[in-house]
Amino acid sequence: MSKKQEPGMAFNMQKLNKIFAFLSVAFLITVVWMFLDDYMRPWKAVQLKGIKIKQEKVLKDIEAAEKEINTDSLAKFEMQLEASRKTVESRKKAIEAVEDEMNMIVKELKNETIVKGIANSQVSAVGFQYGVAHSHHYSNEKDLYKKLQGLKKDFAESSERMKILQAKEKSLKRKVLTFSKEVRDTERSIEGIIGKRELLLGAKKKLAMDPIFVLRNLPIIDFLDPTLKIRQVVLENITDDRYFRHVPKVDRCMTCHLFIDEKGYEKQENPYKTHPNLDLMVGAKGKHPMKKFGCTTCHGGEGHRVNDFNSAAHMPKDLAQQKDWEKKYNWHEPHKVPIVQFRRGQYEAGCVKCHSNVEYIPEATVLNQGRRNIRKFGCYGCHKIKGWEHNRKPGPSLEKIASKVSKEFFKNWVWSPKSFNKHAKMPQFFNQTNNNSPEFIRKNITEVNAIAEYVYNKSKPYKPFAKYTGGSSKRGKKLVKEVGCMACHGVKDFTVGSKKVDAFVGPYLSGIGTKVKNRENWLVSWLLKPSHYQKDTVMPSFRLSRREANDIATYLLSKKNKKFEELKFEPMSKTVRDELLVEYFSAFSPADVAKVKLSKMSDHERTMELGYRSVGKYGCYSCHNIEGFEGRAPIGPELTKLGSKPLTQFGFGHEKVSHSRDGWIKAHLLNPRRWDNGADKPFKDLLRMPQFDMTEKQASDITVALIGQVADKVPATGVKQLDKDEAVVAEGMKIVTKYNCIGCHQIDGAYGDILPLYDEDINQGPPRLVGQGHRVQADWLHHFLDNVTPIRFFDKEFAATPIRMPSFNFTNEERNKLVALFQHKSKQKTFEDNTKKVVWERGERRGALKLVESLACNSCHAGLAGSPSEPTAPNLKLAKRRLRPSWIKKWLKDPQAILEGTPMPSFWEDGESMDEDIFGGDPERQQNALVKYLLEIGVDSLSPNQK
Amino acid sequence: MRELINWLAEPIRSFPIFTFLFFMMMRYYKVVGTKKFGYWGLAISIPVVAWFCADPNFLAIILWPDNIPINIIIIMLTFLTWLSLYKCAENDKRIEAGECPIEALPENREKVWAWPNLVYTELFVIIATTIFLVVWAIIFKAPLEEPANVTWAPNPAKAPWYFLGLQEMLVYFDPWMAGVVLPGVIVVGLIAIPFIDTNPKGNGYYTFAERPLAITSFLFGWLVLWIYLIIVGTFLRGPNWTFYGPFEYWDFHKVVADYNVNLSEYVWIKILNVPMPKNLVLREIFGIIGTVAYLTVLPFLSLKTKIGKELYAKSGTIRYYIFVFLFIIMMSLPIKMVLRWLINLKYIVALPEWELNL
Repeated sequence: MSKKQEPGMAFNMQKLNKIFAFLSVAFLITVVWMFLDDYMRPWKAVQLKGIKIKQEKVLKDIEAAEKEINTDSLAKFEMQLEASRKTVESRKKAIEAVEDEMNMIVKELKNETIVKGIANSQVSAVGFQYGVAHSHHYSNEKDLYKKLQGLKKDFAESSERMKILQAKEKSLKRKVLTFSKEVRDTERSIEGIIGKRELLLGAKKKLAMDPIFVLRNLPIIDFLDPTLKIRQVVLENITDDRYFRHVPKVDRCMTCHLFIDEKGYEKQENPYKTHPNLDLMVGAKGKHPMKKFGCTTCHGGEGHRVNDFNSAAHMPKDLAQQKDWEKKYNWHEPHKVPIVQFRRGQYEAGCVKCHSNVEYIPEATVLNQGRRNIRKFGCYGCHKIKGWEHNRKPGPSLEKIASKVSKEFFKNWVWSPKSFNKHAKMPQFFNQTNNNSPEFIRKNITEVNAIAEYVYNKSKPYKPFAKYTGGSSKRGKKLVKEVGCMACHGVKDFTVGSKKVDAFVGPYLSGIGTKVKNRENWLVSWLLKPSHYQKDTVMPSFRLSRREANDIATYLLSKKNKKFEELKFEPMSKTVRDELLVEYFSAFSPADVAKVKLSKMSDHERTMELGYRSVGKYGCYSCHNIEGFEGRAPIGPELTKLGSKPLTQFGFGHEKVSHSRDGWIKAHLLNPRRWDNGADKPFKDLLRMPQFDMTEKQASDITVALIGQVADKVPATGVKQLDKDEAVVAEGMKIVTKYNCIGCHQIDGAYGDILPLYDEDINQGPPRLVGQGHRVQADWLHHFLDNVTPIRFFDKEFAATPIRMPSFNFTNEERNKLVALFQHKSKQKTFEDNTKKVVWERGERRGALKLVESLACNSCHAGLAGSPSEPTAPNLKLAKRRLRPSWIKKWLKDPQAILEGTPMPSFWEDGESMDEDIFGGDPERQQNALVKYLLEIGVDSLSPNQK
Repeated sequence: MRELINWLAEPIRSFPIFTFLFFMMMRYYKVVGTKKFGYWGLAISIPVVAWFCADPNFLAIILWPDNIPINIIIIMLTFLTWLSLYKCAENDKRIEAGECPIEALPENREKVWAWPNLVYTELFVIIATTIFLVVWAIIFKAPLEEPANVTWAPNPAKAPWYFLGLQEMLVYFDPWMAGVVLPGVIVVGLIAIPFIDTNPKGNGYYTFAERPLAITSFLFGWLVLWIYLIIVGTFLRGPNWTFYGPFEYWDFHKVVADYNVNLSEYVWIKILNVPMPKNLVLREIFGIIGTVAYLTVLPFLSLKTKIGKELYAKSGTIRYYIFVFLFIIMMSLPIKMVLRWLINLKYIVALPEWELNL
């Protein structure tokens, strides 16, 4: 060390001072850096740009507003203003005098207010003193009383004076106003013309980036009242689960998505875009206003984080967008985020957590498709999903299967349903990527044989009640096409139509001749009365005649799948069977004990045992009713909270699949066995979820429905609560989907799968139900559902095989629910007053009769004098008990408004009567008279067959 | 090469390597403690570290905000250890040559004023540290994680970095031992140091030659048993506390074969081939005898050694036994680790009924 320093010093002070100076400067720089780092937030830049966009828009609006201004009338009003100002000027003296007077009054009023205030407080104080003195019998009681009375008098006098002064002031004010009336009126007219522009100019001024704007947003000062600030909504009714407690959800998305709830920014780039569906979402007047529902409630993600683009857990919709975001925003996979945002196209997943207990959610197209597909593929059969428990098993009952298909067919079908019918709903369990080694195939064949033996052994006998007598295949084909089969069944011969309908409730009809070979009587019986074979079937009876049933049977039987018919299923290998059984038995006991156990069983018992275990192993019972498995829990894991399952709990195996929940689910649906790739598993541990051969679209729709199944508990005040009517409707919709009423019927504009087949004349298809609960009476509908009778007839050519409402095997409870569904949907009371006698006004009945004649009701409707022998419209005599009178009137008024395209003519178009002579052409009276007439001629029966 | 390093990094190999290197360093401290060695070390380690950092998996772990302080620690520790060895070496050479230590030179013994010499420089340190912390906070934001969920623990769940050595000890010991007894002994031992180590040599100056045992045993506990375990716990333990090499991807589903057996099971079942006794003490008798012997016989045995005799003569009975006791407790950690690796030993004494597992 050099010895430059002074004695007693270890260092050279000059040098130390320099270091100190350097450190101080560095410290200063760091502090400034710290403030800048804190000050410069990405969202501020976004907001600045947003302000500029808004400025541009306001400028454009101003321009537009200026164009709207009528300059001529403006000039006129301005001149008028000038003139009226002069008039007012001439009254200057009078005005001044009044104003002077007014000032005096105001002064006196002020004075009187003080006087009254003092008096008031004294009255109160002395009143209290007197009260005390009175109750304690003090000696000064009387003095106080006297004093109090005096004060009260003062107070009353002051009040009186005040009222007089106030009245004076009011009249003077009015006087002043009348003096300047002309000016004010003109000003108001001018404001009416330029008011919009003025407002916009005000808005523009607010947006200006002037020195005040800069000052308000300066670092440090910006804690006072900044213009650039984080915007947020706090949602009391929707909470975030912070595990130890639920906290109100805070969404700050609008910090960057500035105009999400404002109209007029539809064409901007994100984040400045308006929400695409303001009426439904975000819009203040929409169903889900932003203030109440926020953003992440539906979109998922981290709504309270605004650090940068990534912190909100935005998710790209595809790889291209991901690449784009990576470049633009430095996007990366969100980590440590429990629920990331839903990708574009998956947003509807957000509906699920609040809208439970309904079959379909209005306007949620993708989600509804997903739910329809869950129903179609029967996911709920094997996997419990809360809200789906009421659905019946997706597959047919196997309790009497022996009478329906042969064992050989059964085995070939179970082995590969798709090779019999590529539209088969039954998924493929065998010969998949994880079990197609020769060893596994051998074992699977044994299992399938054992399953068949088991199921056929348990199958109960069934004797068809009808005989197949042969018929016309051509007529049968026509019937299948027209009577209504295609609402539930696809048909191979009508591929185009089947595709349009996309029916899925019943099996796709192809190769039936092969399927029910040698069981023709069964088919005829089934067609005639499905519930005879299976009590709880949803297949209805079409009230076919024996001939019709035989025609259809002939047609269906003629359709064969030769290739499939020739398949011979390999017989069971007993050694493999025993091997598998030993494996089962030795799960909990040693191999020797297992072998002893096996040796004690007979050959039949062994097969039954393996069959029983295999049905359990593959979960056949989850979709089909099989004896011996009553009440067993479905085989698959519950999916109710799939959307919240931690990503680390998804087994991605060694598959190259996007590491996200939706990526896993979609990949899983497309090939459920893929996770076994590269895993050397023993036979009993192989994945068993079967292959459904879904399309990509179906898989991604189901994915949307499933990732919406999150565990978030939304408080009762935040979720959609069905009101009294909606709850009844939701309950009824369960029956509607069970029996697939919506396969044929449109209900208030939705559903009606089969209707696309009737493009040409929609009236030839099943009736569209619009306001059905208002249309028909409850007791009639209840009766009708159990006693279906034709209501209307069709033209001659069509009448041979019209589409017909089949007879379902409803229970009384189900019928009640259906009736209640419509009744509550239309908000109607249950019963109409059907016993009330019709009371006519003078001449009204005559008018009604004339109207019926002049409108020629009898040219289409049955039930009137001179009705055609083949009427195309319903019998009017039956209207009384079928239709609600208020509906008849509404219908008469404008049938097209209720049912677009109905053949019923509008007789009062635009409120003008076609017949001016009757009731002076008063539509109201004419319609009332007709309703009364229908009630009068109506018979008291719910159907033509009823006595 | 990367596979080789991954393989070497596993504690079963890296611990002996590290221990060996440590003793080599102590043995040849005069070589290590030269500027030439320092420069060479720096020159070699920079490209090596750069090559390590070229691997994305390694970089991801290194740059994880939680791990930054540990990176700093490693750099600082390496430098400071070298610095002390350098100073020791310098002084020892001088002492050998019969000179006084550098600290004892007259110009270094001169007294100076606390103000400004001390207070002023302390102010510098305060400012510099503040600058450093602020810049650190700006560049590496605090790592915000998801809200704590009682039903979903993060995996791996890691202790604060300074406790990761203790957490790593949990791999080898019962929580009661690794979490309570051993840390307690560490604290007591550290408190006891000034009372045990009465050797006046090395006061106020660096020297190794005059107090080799004290320095070696302290640095062994510090570097090998504490810092090394922190490094392993931080960088090489991933999900499920499974070992991951420095270049290995943290695959959630990695499975490691690890089946551990108690000493009593080894003895009764494997060696003696008889059923385990019902009596708990009898069942664990071998472990108990071994442990007691380890704790009682070893101190007396140590007296037979030359070092033991010397130390005993120097420090007296009580100091000597306390020192030996602390030392063998410290050594129980590496012993247990080695036993685990060699024979998959779970517990020497396994008395879960009494919550006493050693």
